[in-house]
Amino acid sequence: MDIMISIRNLSVIRDGLEVLQNIHADIRAGEIVAVIGPNGAGKSTLLKCLLGFLIYTGTITIFGKRPTHALDQIGYVPQRFTFDKNFPLTVAEFLRLSCDSQPAIKHALKEVEMDAYHDALLGRLSGGQLQRVLIARAIANSPKLLLLDEPTTGIDLGGEKDFYEIIAHQNQQHDVTIVMVSHEVNMVYTHATHVLCLNKSVCGMGRPNETLTRDVLELLYGRDTAIRDHEHHAHA
Amino acid sequence: MAEIRPFAIMNIMHMLDIFAYPFMQRAVIAGVILAALLSVLGVYVLLKRMSFFSDGIAHASLAGIAIGIIFSWPPLIVALCLSAVFAWVIYWIERKFELASDTAIGILFTTGMAVGVLLISMRPGYQPELISFLFGNILAIQKDELWVIALVSMGIISFVALQFRPLTLLALDEELAHAAHVKTTLLQPLFYMILSLAVVLGIKILGVILVSALLILPSASARIVALSLKRFVWLSVCFAEGIVLAGILSSVVFNLPTGPMIVLSGTCCFVIALVLRTFRSSDYSL
Repeated sequence: MDIMISIRNLSVIRDGLEVLQNIHADIRAGEIVAVIGPNGAGKSTLLKCLLGFLIYTGTITIFGKRPTHALDQIGYVPQRFTFDKNFPLTVAEFLRLSCDSQPAIKHALKEVEMDAYHDALLGRLSGGQLQRVLIARAIANSPKLLLLDEPTTGIDLGGEKDFYEIIAHQNQQHDVTIVMVSHEVNMVYTHATHVLCLNKSVCGMGRPNETLTRDVLELLYGRDTAIRDHEHHAHA
Repeated sequence: MAEIRPFAIMNIMHMLDIFAYPFMQRAVIAGVILAALLSVLGVYVLLKRMSFFSDGIAHASLAGIAIGIIFSWPPLIVALCLSAVFAWVIYWIERKFELASDTAIGILFTTGMAVGVLLISMRPGYQPELISFLFGNILAIQKDELWVIALVSMGIISFVALQFRPLTLLALDEELAHAAHVKTTLLQPLFYMILSLAVVLGIKILGVILVSALLILPSASARIVALSLKRFVWLSVCFAEGIVLAGILSSVVFNLPTGPMIVLSGTCCFVIALVLRTFRSSDYSL
């Protein structure tokens, strides 16, 4: 498969601290890549670099272009979308802010099973519904790459299951490559084709069963957590 | 009682003859233009919670008024230029030093006021421009000032109309806006600048103390009753026009200062919106 994202010597310094150190990674078209690591590992920073939202050193190419030149092929779901809940903005109006095509908006809402909420106020939606709308916004322009930053934060178990079904559907039916940041290690085995283990630098990358070894988990979360997670997975 | 009513109506009709005077016509035209301008920008001010920004710029522009008075330059033009510089400096301080907006605004707000007071104190005697700056005087708008108000307002309204979607997305979430190809690092300081220009223009009718009212009250009233963004914007403009015209009219009828009457009309509008919302609460649930 073609390399969609190529990252070379990527480093990010914020407030004098090195948040990402010399990252090398390749992500191929069609993969679902979970970026995992402890808090402060630089997961969200990496995603923001892929969007060209942060200043970095090194090279990132997406479809052979710089991130800011590839934005028309990228859909993005942020970690937190905090807005004034009383602001009178309907779901359709929210999607229209970043998509010109009305049929594309309707199709995107149907894909995430939110077509009945076309004229609902955004501030009245539940956490799970809002997350679906954010995914609809991200896929409305038919992107080839979806970047998701901790997309299941604040969603209940049912909503989480639905979310992963939507992601799998996008990947399998529409050939969308997915890169999602997650703090949940166990989801990697069930929902990702590849995993990128990050703790300021890359600790491991590849297929989950081959990559998530005891040593890698120890590098990510420390010794005790590594053993517990590893054993838990072995029993599961 | 039946005899008093026609007399009262005739009396009011006689008072309304005042609208035949050019100064009153200029006041109404300026009021209508500025109402549209400030109410549209008020939508973003509410969404981004920037009411302190407008207050800060209004106060800081005293420095521009004072420079204009001291050097005998048109105070409105000087204040407009200086407010655009202040807006850019606020943006720069926020970004460069990652300071909270209200801190950056607070610094500029007090510095501008201090410079303004110092400069004014150098010139002895009564300063009518200063009083007009503090409390506004829509009835004193001159022909050249009306031209400045009309041209700058048309420019800003055209810009907002062309950039409506990027501006709204930027006000909602900067990351989402960036991901949607919005040039956030250009649009954000530009928005600060046009808001500053609009606030300084608004000072002509309401003064530094009351100008925020025309930014906040129409959009706050519209937000309470609107069920979509489109209606929110249009209602905000309609409310602002109603508020300004009612304020001017009531000030003529009751022979009271125009600025406070405009603000009190806005307060009435807000209360009516609250009452409407209370009676139509079922429309606001899913």
